[in-house]
Amino acid sequence: MSLTESSMEVEHDRSGATVVLHRVDQATPMVRPSRPRAAAEQGAGRWAWAVPGALIAVAALALSVRLWRLDAVGFNSDEAVYAGQAASLAGNPNYSELFPVFRAHPMLFQAVLSPFFRSGEVDVAGRVVVAVFGVATVLAVYLLGARLYSRPVGVVAALFLAVMPYHVIVTRQVLLDGPMVLFATLTLYCLVRFVQGQQLLWYVAAGGMLGATMLTKETSIVLAGGVYAFLALTPTVKRPVRISVLALAAMAVVFATHPISQALAGRSATGRSYLVWQLFRRPNHSMSFYLETVPGAMGLLLVAAAACGLWWLRRQRSWRETLLVSWVAAPVVFFQLWPVKGFQYLLPVAGPVAVLAARALVGLPLPARLRRYRLPWAGRLENAEPFHVARSVRALRIAAIAAVTLSLLVPSWKAVNQADNATFLAGSGGVPGGREAGRWLAANTPEGSVVLTLGPSMANIMQYYGHRRSYGLSVSPNPLHRNPSYDPLPNPDWWLRHNDLQYVVWDSFSAQRSKFFAERLMVLVRRYHGRVVHTEYVERTSSSGTRVPVPVIIIYEVRP
Amino acid sequence: MTDTTRPGMRRASCLLARALLLACLLAMVIPAPAAHAAPRRSAPAAGATTPIDHFVFLMQENHTFDNYFGTRPGVDGIPAGTCMPVRRGQAEPCVKPFHLGELGSLDLDHSAEAFRVQYNKGRMDGFVEGVSTQGKDGKLAMAYYDDRDLPYYWNIADEYVLFDRFFSSSNSGSIRNHMFRVTGGPGATGASESIPKEGWGDIPTIFDRLEAAGISWKFYVENYDPSITFRSRASEEDVDRGAQVIWVPLLAYARYVDDPRLFGRIVDLDEYYEDAAKGDLPAVSFIAPAGDSEHPPGSIRAGQTLVRTLLTQLMRSPNWDSSAFLWSYDDWGGWYDHVAPPQVDAYGYGFRVPGLLVSPYARRGYVDSTTLDFTSVLKFIEVNWRLKPLAERDRKAATFLGAFDFDRPPRPAAFLSTERTPAVVERPDPVPVYASYAVTGTLVAALVGVAAVRRRRWA
Repeated sequence: MSLTESSMEVEHDRSGATVVLHRVDQATPMVRPSRPRAAAEQGAGRWAWAVPGALIAVAALALSVRLWRLDAVGFNSDEAVYAGQAASLAGNPNYSELFPVFRAHPMLFQAVLSPFFRSGEVDVAGRVVVAVFGVATVLAVYLLGARLYSRPVGVVAALFLAVMPYHVIVTRQVLLDGPMVLFATLTLYCLVRFVQGQQLLWYVAAGGMLGATMLTKETSIVLAGGVYAFLALTPTVKRPVRISVLALAAMAVVFATHPISQALAGRSATGRSYLVWQLFRRPNHSMSFYLETVPGAMGLLLVAAAACGLWWLRRQRSWRETLLVSWVAAPVVFFQLWPVKGFQYLLPVAGPVAVLAARALVGLPLPARLRRYRLPWAGRLENAEPFHVARSVRALRIAAIAAVTLSLLVPSWKAVNQADNATFLAGSGGVPGGREAGRWLAANTPEGSVVLTLGPSMANIMQYYGHRRSYGLSVSPNPLHRNPSYDPLPNPDWWLRHNDLQYVVWDSFSAQRSKFFAERLMVLVRRYHGRVVHTEYVERTSSSGTRVPVPVIIIYEVRP
Repeated sequence: MTDTTRPGMRRASCLLARALLLACLLAMVIPAPAAHAAPRRSAPAAGATTPIDHFVFLMQENHTFDNYFGTRPGVDGIPAGTCMPVRRGQAEPCVKPFHLGELGSLDLDHSAEAFRVQYNKGRMDGFVEGVSTQGKDGKLAMAYYDDRDLPYYWNIADEYVLFDRFFSSSNSGSIRNHMFRVTGGPGATGASESIPKEGWGDIPTIFDRLEAAGISWKFYVENYDPSITFRSRASEEDVDRGAQVIWVPLLAYARYVDDPRLFGRIVDLDEYYEDAAKGDLPAVSFIAPAGDSEHPPGSIRAGQTLVRTLLTQLMRSPNWDSSAFLWSYDDWGGWYDHVAPPQVDAYGYGFRVPGLLVSPYARRGYVDSTTLDFTSVLKFIEVNWRLKPLAERDRKAATFLGAFDFDRPPRPAAFLSTERTPAVVERPDPVPVYASYAVTGTLVAALVGVAAVRRRRWA
């Protein structure tokens, strides 16, 4: 491999064995119609404003979709935990005793959140922070797309991500995955800069950024596998061992912040046990879980466009596609094999898939037959001048992009407007009625009340909104079979008999997951004179088509 | 003779009757809006002179103040250097107070004779002898419990009111003390200390006063068996349930047993929980325990659990804001107490017993040293609902109104821990967390920045 150094910004030719350098800030050698010179100059002037304008519009759209009815449903379990950690770190007295600062994950995101949680009960502010991370990711995807292909590709990729239901849903929740994907996208960007410029500092920066990604959520270490796969499949990229070691060291040093900060602040043992538990815990979903949930959430048309683009633009295949596909493949393969599955775990692939889809649609090849027909706003193509042909082709591509965008926007809009749901998938949004039930506990039960819930998820929500110590009945007393963050109740019957539990909370979401514990909980409710004191309902459409209230959370008062 | 006023009167009474009928119909058709808007509260409380509309009085059994709180700081507890002579009048050998803990206790003698020996004409030096003369280990009388054994009660004392001059009314056992509790008198006079075969006759009770005034009341009885009364008690004593008639003296009154309306006010303790949950507690509630009475050798932990459960229900009741819950112990149980009880008449006082008050108006962590006995509770009820005294004792008794602070709004309910020293949650120092993440974030940003700047330099 030869490298020609230049004073200009450079990039490799996509397909050549030898490296040819191009200006990157010009259009990449994708399909570009020829245009009259004057029109091109005029167009260049328009583009100078069009791209920032489009980006502002996309960012505004992304922010709007992420903030719309953001407060309609309260936190889910994971949100409650991260928010509780942030509040605890900030010294919020409402949460310090209920949520330990250190649990399973590193604290980068929680540290960013904590200034918003210094006092009182906060939920929407935390989600706004994540939404801002989400919009930043949308802009980062523009940078990635523009850097890899062209500005139009960047803008379209950003548009896709802005309205992609998967990304919208996750970045409306106080979860680690939204911020993690921002850093992951920036890691990818640094890597692209390194490959394009062969400037080794970008390689080290990519290592550092991957470390920051891991500091947000340590499972993102699987993305290192994507980098490795890319480098292994692309021998043309120069990567001296010394610099690779330096990049790895940068990653390790950045990630070392997690154990160092814990050690300095008074480390808990939870983090150590958590990895062991994750390694040996039982599967929580079937093997087809991701296939059933993620493509639909990403948009079937979008995924199809990304996949088809790889086919119809195969002649222009280069290291770019290798990089994006490697980046997608690593987490998909890993989490497919990993027994524990979560809806949001594959979010890092959203950006690359959006870029691949944008690339495919911006370079969409049109069938020859289609070219014979006149478009309403263009001349008959075979008779038209090249400029008009280009406009018509562009119009068709825009139509295709619009169709894909619409196919994403509609489910996103439905998702953000669907506040009530009697079923719940972890990571897919808030828990209907959870916040209201928790607040009822806070307002109507004496301080010091202790609550038994069906599972640990509802316990987290009750602790967050209710400020009442809560225990999940289904938390195993066996340390090998439970999240080390959770305290089990080895003998709930004894606790109830001695008046150490005063309230029992049943919820339909946990009951659907575990019929055994749901039944067991009701046995205790009956045994200890359970009396319904509060019920939360959601409305559901019955078989007759009418809207009927369905109880989702029931609070019982119990006594010996 | 013709009564000229009759037609006019007839018309007037006819009009009045119609008006009343119309008013009744309207009242039935149009419910008062206030009845819907107002939070549910139990009926009477008519004319209470304090914000206390619901008063609950629980009587546990057989402990002295020093036995439960003698080592508590800030109270009139066991004096330093106490050593009780094994024989009265002989300083040595003697027994020092010791922590009983999990050693296990016995039912010490607590008869009138035991009191006479232990009291020893006010010398208070016969506690060991009073027990040992009955063939039991007299040293046990000097045992005490502390916050290791009674964490919940001690926590209650921290938050609410503890009385350290609360005496049992009678210097003998349960029967007289329970009679003082409801009548202000000893019941049987003279040396006799048993329930007469014909019952207590017409001795007036506080419940007679409440009935006459139209003030609601109930007597809640744990494990209540309505078939056990003074008439059936003899045959039931063998199964140890006949004591129900001692704890609930009303069951030894023919007029309470034979009147279904009055008899219906004596109910199982389960009804307390239901009434409290609905906000339907009566104005005055008396509670008699069964197996959870802390009577040695019964479990004091079980007693704590009972009290905690009763308080839990009261605290989550709509009645909490206007309630007061007082519990005490019917006699000293043979245990040591260092304060010589004033002898106000032939029957008492007996030795000090623990007494605690929980109320949203109770002073926080207050030790009330007013001299009180069970008739002080009657006095409080009489003062609060403007009732006439029952007997000389309650007429002269002091009340515990000073334990309340009615100038402040009611305190919100809070469940207290059963741990004396709850686990302290250590909050890690946040500064290293913030600092380390800030430094790392800055370094990564600088790294990217330098990479970007170097490109520009080359350009």
